[in-house]
Amino acid sequence: MLNGTKKVWKNRGTAILLLCLLVLLSPSSRAEGLAVTLLLSDSSAPYQTFFETLRQRLPASIKLVVHDPAREGNGSAVSADLVVAVGMKAAEAAIAAVPRPPVLAVMVPKAGYDSLFLGQKAAYGTSAIYLDQPWERQVAFLYAVLPDVERVGLLYSSETRLEVSPLLNSVANRGGSVVAQSVQSADRLFASLEKVLSGSDVLLAIPDSRIYNAASIRNILLTSYRHEVPLIGLSQGYVNAGALAAIFTLPEQIAEQTARQIVAFDKKKGLAAPGYPENFTVALNNQVARSLEIRLPSEDEIRKRMRVGEDGR
Amino acid sequence: MVPFQYRQLSAAIFAALLAQVALATEESSEQNYFQEFPVVLTASRLKQPQSEAPNAMTVIDREMIVASGFRSISDLFKLVPGMYVSYYKGSQPFVAYHGSTDQYARRMQVMIDGRSVYLPPISSVNWASLPITVDDIERIEVIRGPAAASHGANSTQGVISIITRDAGYLDGKRVSYTRGEKGINDVSARFGKRGDTFDYRMTLAYSADNGYDMLTAPPPGKSITQPQVNTLLNNDNDSNQARLLNFTAGYHPNGVDQFDVQLGLNRDVQGVGFIDKNPSANANPYHDLVCNSGFLQLGWKRQLDNASELSFRYYHIQQNQHETSPYFVLNVPLPGLILQSAHTGRDEIEVQHTLSFSASNRIVYGAAYRTDRFNGQTAFSQFPVTGFSGSFNSNEYRVFAHDEWRITPQLLLNTGAMFERDGMGHQNLSPRVALNANVIPLHTLRMGVSVAYRTPAMLEERYPVNRFLQFRALYTGATAIYRPLFASGSLAMPDQTITSPGLKPEKLLSREIGYLGQFPNWDALLDVRFFSDQVSSGIHLNGLKLTFENEMSAAYQGVEATLKKSFSNNSDLTVNFAHELANSNLSALVVAGKSTATPASPWISDVLGASIPRNSASLLYSQRFSKKISFSASYYYQDSLQPYDRGSVDYQPIQRRVDVRLAKEFRDVGGMSGEVSLVVQNLFNQGYTEYIANNVFNRRSYVTFTFDW
Repeated sequence: MLNGTKKVWKNRGTAILLLCLLVLLSPSSRAEGLAVTLLLSDSSAPYQTFFETLRQRLPASIKLVVHDPAREGNGSAVSADLVVAVGMKAAEAAIAAVPRPPVLAVMVPKAGYDSLFLGQKAAYGTSAIYLDQPWERQVAFLYAVLPDVERVGLLYSSETRLEVSPLLNSVANRGGSVVAQSVQSADRLFASLEKVLSGSDVLLAIPDSRIYNAASIRNILLTSYRHEVPLIGLSQGYVNAGALAAIFTLPEQIAEQTARQIVAFDKKKGLAAPGYPENFTVALNNQVARSLEIRLPSEDEIRKRMRVGEDGR
Repeated sequence: MVPFQYRQLSAAIFAALLAQVALATEESSEQNYFQEFPVVLTASRLKQPQSEAPNAMTVIDREMIVASGFRSISDLFKLVPGMYVSYYKGSQPFVAYHGSTDQYARRMQVMIDGRSVYLPPISSVNWASLPITVDDIERIEVIRGPAAASHGANSTQGVISIITRDAGYLDGKRVSYTRGEKGINDVSARFGKRGDTFDYRMTLAYSADNGYDMLTAPPPGKSITQPQVNTLLNNDNDSNQARLLNFTAGYHPNGVDQFDVQLGLNRDVQGVGFIDKNPSANANPYHDLVCNSGFLQLGWKRQLDNASELSFRYYHIQQNQHETSPYFVLNVPLPGLILQSAHTGRDEIEVQHTLSFSASNRIVYGAAYRTDRFNGQTAFSQFPVTGFSGSFNSNEYRVFAHDEWRITPQLLLNTGAMFERDGMGHQNLSPRVALNANVIPLHTLRMGVSVAYRTPAMLEERYPVNRFLQFRALYTGATAIYRPLFASGSLAMPDQTITSPGLKPEKLLSREIGYLGQFPNWDALLDVRFFSDQVSSGIHLNGLKLTFENEMSAAYQGVEATLKKSFSNNSDLTVNFAHELANSNLSALVVAGKSTATPASPWISDVLGASIPRNSASLLYSQRFSKKISFSASYYYQDSLQPYDRGSVDYQPIQRRVDVRLAKEFRDVGGMSGEVSLVVQNLFNQGYTEYIANNVFNRRSYVTFTFDW
């Protein structure tokens, strides 16, 4: 899992197309306001929501041109002062283009963004607003929801791309431990699940579609429910499906933060360092909580407990 | 790979393992956060927390089942406060709430995965012929108190709901072998597959034992007469062999539909009858009772949207019993054999819709239709007596609605009602109201009132009094011998004609106050219930006319409590206690010439009151040690009682029993994992008798080997 150097894309076509598009980009002649090109990886709902929110939040002086690969057959010459690449596909294409304006990659997982530089220092003129939550926040959330947790279960596969030492530290700081179980193959998922659940108080979902996908979620949730082990998910979708709770950042929230960074960029002409989203959303499944006889704190209480945790450290 | 805890391990190792700097594969894509999922834990899948149930409820979960060491399903109910579990024969248990009954406990509804296995003609459960084993059970929910509003007629005293393991619980193969004293010899093979859209599991099992021990001397402190010696001592034929199969499959092609198929077969052969060495008729000599039974159940659940679900269920149950035995009159074998067979069938279809009006209000309503069929024959191979042949159906329907309204976060109001029309044309409405108040967090107070009816059993309506009289007239001349023909074996055969035409359902009015307290600091849960139940129009046998009548009234009052406590993550304790009193008008009915329920002993003033153990308790403790060793111990206590319809010789003294279980799990031995366990029942050999004095339970032990791969 560590030896490959090729970048594998599900859809190479899109990547190549974006690359062609990006070659045509060049810095504009700043006669008017800042020109921002928005590059979407996809035209599905989260990207559209991001675009709509960003458009509303940007001051009129900033010119926003959107490139949606799904809508546009081929690229046209665009000049921009800043490229906002939404999602990994767009980010990779934008960063790979030479020459290019500064790139702000948004709605990208940290592991994905880091992987674009293959372990080297990020290229000049690039930054990011990640989609995932910092581990510290994730763990603070977990303990705000379930203060008595001792053993945090985690399933990972050979495809898992996460830096987990902050998770281990953060759980250990709260007196808990992480029970990690590898999933050798999709066939063995359920055996691994039984093992991890039998020694855990909570199962923490991670972004790995080898393990968590629309086909497997049913068995994961039913099995964890049978063990009376709640699942902490990654999105509203997880909570609707039956996870106890989730902490995540919505495209709207990333768009708001992006708008603020664009405005700051316009003023200072520089990009902030890559970072995690400032705001987050909390989703709770009260029905599942009641059934598992877990007393869920209110959302306000959870946020309060998370803040107290921060101050205490 | 064994899960290991990372607190001790260097975080760096793990970080290196999981690639701090990774490749830009699709696993690093944001798509992981935008996945669409089906709703899995729908309202109907979620079990109701105890603090929100409209009734007192005892849950026996998988861990308790294992820790108890029991190998027969009915024994598990010893872990329910106030439950009376006893045996007429080694494989003919009866499970009753509110004390002993006659040998056919018929006031509790018993369901397996929603399928009522409480079958005519006796309206009782043939536990030995259920096509599941203890290891097929995921959990058992026992509602203590009437629940006719949600579970229909005949749940007057309570409801036992057995939930078997999911189709997908086993992904692989498992073989288990149990060998022990008293002929205990069980073997089972299980296999299953869990997939994304299709799961199944299958069990094949054989189970055998020799039942109870013989009573070899008069019960302690009793002097018994020679006729009693002749019938009681060394008189025990209750071995059992069951061969069974069950299959469960679930198909869930998409996020909204779920199709289930379950089927099962059981062939059970049990030893029945008694040797009667008295110079009078022996109606029921040693012989085998064979039961072939099976069921098919189909279910479809459709999630209409987040708040609404539609479900259909159909099932068919068939139970065919037969027996062949010689017959004696005045201790003289008569020529030929008696052949009896009884065929019972049931078909039921149910439709149910769950609908949430809002986050705080949910309603479940639906309808069901059921047909029960019975046909039976009694034939004589050489006897010049007309045999019996009867066949009849009973059709009933029900409609029900149940609303769960969370008035405030602290107040939950459960209201519900069921309207039923039974096979005799009786129409009953069973309502229920229960308010759960969670005024102080973690402490719930529940107040409930409900009305429930019990439909007469086929055998109560069609008690074969005519055959009884016919036989008596033919063979005994002036001397009446109370050996009715219908009891000439072990099968109860109702009459073709209705012999108790005016019989109505009996009514139960129940009031209760319950308290459920959670004590997280002590890791403890306390459940207490005070109840007062009143039976009116109670069905009783008028032994003088041999008809069933509706003139019994009875009252039950008591308190039940359960304490559950965990000590760290490694040990659990459950303690149950019940104190109960009952009284009835049976002695007045005797005086009025409407009952022959005379007290078995002079100290008894009320037959019903004496049939209830005043205090009963059970305790289950389990402890998990390192090296995968686990230990559990249980203790069962029951005050003395005089079984409802038995003589003084069957008086049950105080029962005390201790069971222990020791198990060691092993993993990755020759590619297999598994467990070895030893169970010793009645460790201190406090020999006690069950419902009839012939049933002596001495210490017995057995070893189980389980292999998984």
